[in-house]
Amino acid sequence: MPIDQVFAAITGGQTPSWVHNIIFSYRIPKAITALLAGASLSICGLQMQTLFKNPLADPFILGISSGAGLGVAIFIMGFSAFGISLSTSLLSNIGIVTAAWLGAFGVTLLILLVSQRLKDNISFLIFGIMIGSVTGAIISLIQYFSSSTDLKVFVMWTMGSFSGLSLSQIWIMFLIVTIGFALSIYNIKDLNTLLLGEAYARSLGVNLEATRRRILIATTLLAGSITAFCGPIGFIGIAVPHIARMIFKNANHKILLPATAIIGAALMIFADTVSQLPGQTQILPINTVSALIGVPVIMYIILKRKTV
Amino acid sequence: MKKVNAGRDIVLELQKVSIGYNKAIYNNIDASAQKGQMIAVIGANGTGKSTLLKSLSGAIPYISGEISLLSKSIKEYKASQLAQKVSFVPAQSPRAQRFSLFDMLATGCYNRSNWLGSISYEDEILIRETLNKVALSSFENRDISTLSDGEFQRAAIARSLVQNSQIILLDEPTAFLDIENKITVTKLLQKITLEQNKTIIFSTHDLQQAIKICDKIWILGHSNFITGSPTSLIEKGAFDKIFKDSSLKFNSTLLTFV
Repeated sequence: MPIDQVFAAITGGQTPSWVHNIIFSYRIPKAITALLAGASLSICGLQMQTLFKNPLADPFILGISSGAGLGVAIFIMGFSAFGISLSTSLLSNIGIVTAAWLGAFGVTLLILLVSQRLKDNISFLIFGIMIGSVTGAIISLIQYFSSSTDLKVFVMWTMGSFSGLSLSQIWIMFLIVTIGFALSIYNIKDLNTLLLGEAYARSLGVNLEATRRRILIATTLLAGSITAFCGPIGFIGIAVPHIARMIFKNANHKILLPATAIIGAALMIFADTVSQLPGQTQILPINTVSALIGVPVIMYIILKRKTV
Repeated sequence: MKKVNAGRDIVLELQKVSIGYNKAIYNNIDASAQKGQMIAVIGANGTGKSTLLKSLSGAIPYISGEISLLSKSIKEYKASQLAQKVSFVPAQSPRAQRFSLFDMLATGCYNRSNWLGSISYEDEILIRETLNKVALSSFENRDISTLSDGEFQRAAIARSLVQNSQIILLDEPTAFLDIENKITVTKLLQKITLEQNKTIIFSTHDLQQAIKICDKIWILGHSNFITGSPTSLIEKGAFDKIFKDSSLKFNSTLLTFV
C-alpha cells in the first residue's frame, strides 16, 4: 500500500475502497488489539513481580497462560467430543474467552495458595514451571484424542495473533481490559507497600488477603482475556517492567505502572509490525516475535543481577 | 538515663497469652506496657521473641488468653485501625531497588493518604522533619537499597514515627549493627520514649543493653515468663535464679549474653 494513500484514508481523503477496507477493518483493529495486549500483559507482569517479589514472575512463566490454554483446549476439543458443534461463531467466541478465563483463574488461585508456603524465589519459579508442564501434558493428552479440525483451531490459537478480531470482539476486550486497568491502578498504593515485604505492608495496615485477591482478579481479567482473544503471548510480561525500571529508574508504582503500560503497548506494536514482514506476503506468529524480543532482555537481567 | 514521667497509663496488657503458629510455642504470658516505657524482650533463640512481637502487632493470631490494646482486645481491631495504634519494624525487610527513602516514608502514611497513595502537604513536612530527627535529612532521594544497615534501621524507625502509632514494636533492631550504629539506634529509641511518650517494645540478645536502657524487661524464660524493672529483677535475683534453676541448655545460651 502506498504511504500517501494510507495517509489519505486516515485523514478522510479520496482513496480506493480496498485501501479504506484494509486500513479500517484490518490494520487499525489489529493495532488496537496489539496495543491493548502489550499494555495489559506488561502491567500483569509488573504486579506479579511485586506481589511475589520475584523478578521473573509473569503470567506466562507461572503457568497462568497455560491454564488459559488448558481451558481453551478442553473447550474446543471437549465440545466436539460430546458431539456439540461450535458452528455459531458467537457461541464459540464467548466460549473460548470464558474457558480461557476459568483456566487462568484456576491457575492463579493455585499459585496464590502455594505462594504462602513457598518462601524462596527459586522453588516458587520451579512450582510455576511445573504447573505449566502439567497443563501442557494435559493439553497434549487432549490433543492426542481430538480430531484434526479441532487440533488446527487450537494450534492456531496457541500461535497467537492480533488479527481476525471483529470490532465487537475488540469492544468486549477493551471493556474487560479497562476494568483490569482500573483495578491495577487502584492496586498502586498497596503495590508500593509490598516493595518492603509482607510483614512491613501488614504493619502499615494493608489487608494483605484483600490485596492479593485484587491483584489476582486484575491479572486474571487482563492476562486471561488477552490470552483468550490473542493466544498465549510470552515474555513481554517479564521483560517490559524491567525495561521500564531501567529507563525511569524508579520503582514507585505511580510512575512504574503507567510507564510499563506505555512501553508494553509500544513494544507490542513494534513486534506486530515486525511480524507483518513488510514487503512480504507471509505473517509470522506473534509468539515467535515476542520471544525473540523478550528473551534477550530477560537473559540480560539474569546476567546483570548476581542474585535472582 | 532516668525517666521522670514514665507514664502510668497502661496501653497494652497480656493475660495468660499463648503464642505460636497453629501450635502454642510459649504459654502463660502475663505482662503490661505503659506510655513512655521502653521494654526489652529477652530469651534464648527459638523461645518465641519474634512470635510474641508478631502477635502483638496483629500479624499472626495468638492461640489463647487475651491481648488488650487500650482496654480493647486486639482481635476487635481492623488491620487499618490496629496500624494506627501499633507499628512493627521487622528484623530484616527485603529492600526494593530504585525506591526512594521519601517514598518509603510516604508508605507510612498508608492510613491517611488517598486511594492512589498521594500524601498531604502536612505529611510531606512531617516526613522531612522525621528524616531530620533520625539524621537522614540529606538522604531524602536516596535509593533505599543503597543505604547501610544502620541507615536503613533508622529509616525503618522513621517510617514507624511517620505512621504515628502509640506503640512501636521492633524485632532485634540492633542485631545486625556495628557498635557505633547500635549506640545511635539505641539513643534514638530512648529519645522517642522520652520526647514523644511512645511505648517501645523490642527484642534483643543484649542483656546488658536491656538492663541499662529499659524501664522493664520481659524474659521468656525456659520454665516461665518473668517481668519487672531491671533493678527489681536484679534485687529479686531473677537473673541468678534463671541461671541456677533452669536447664543447662538455657543456662549456656543466656550466659553468652552477659
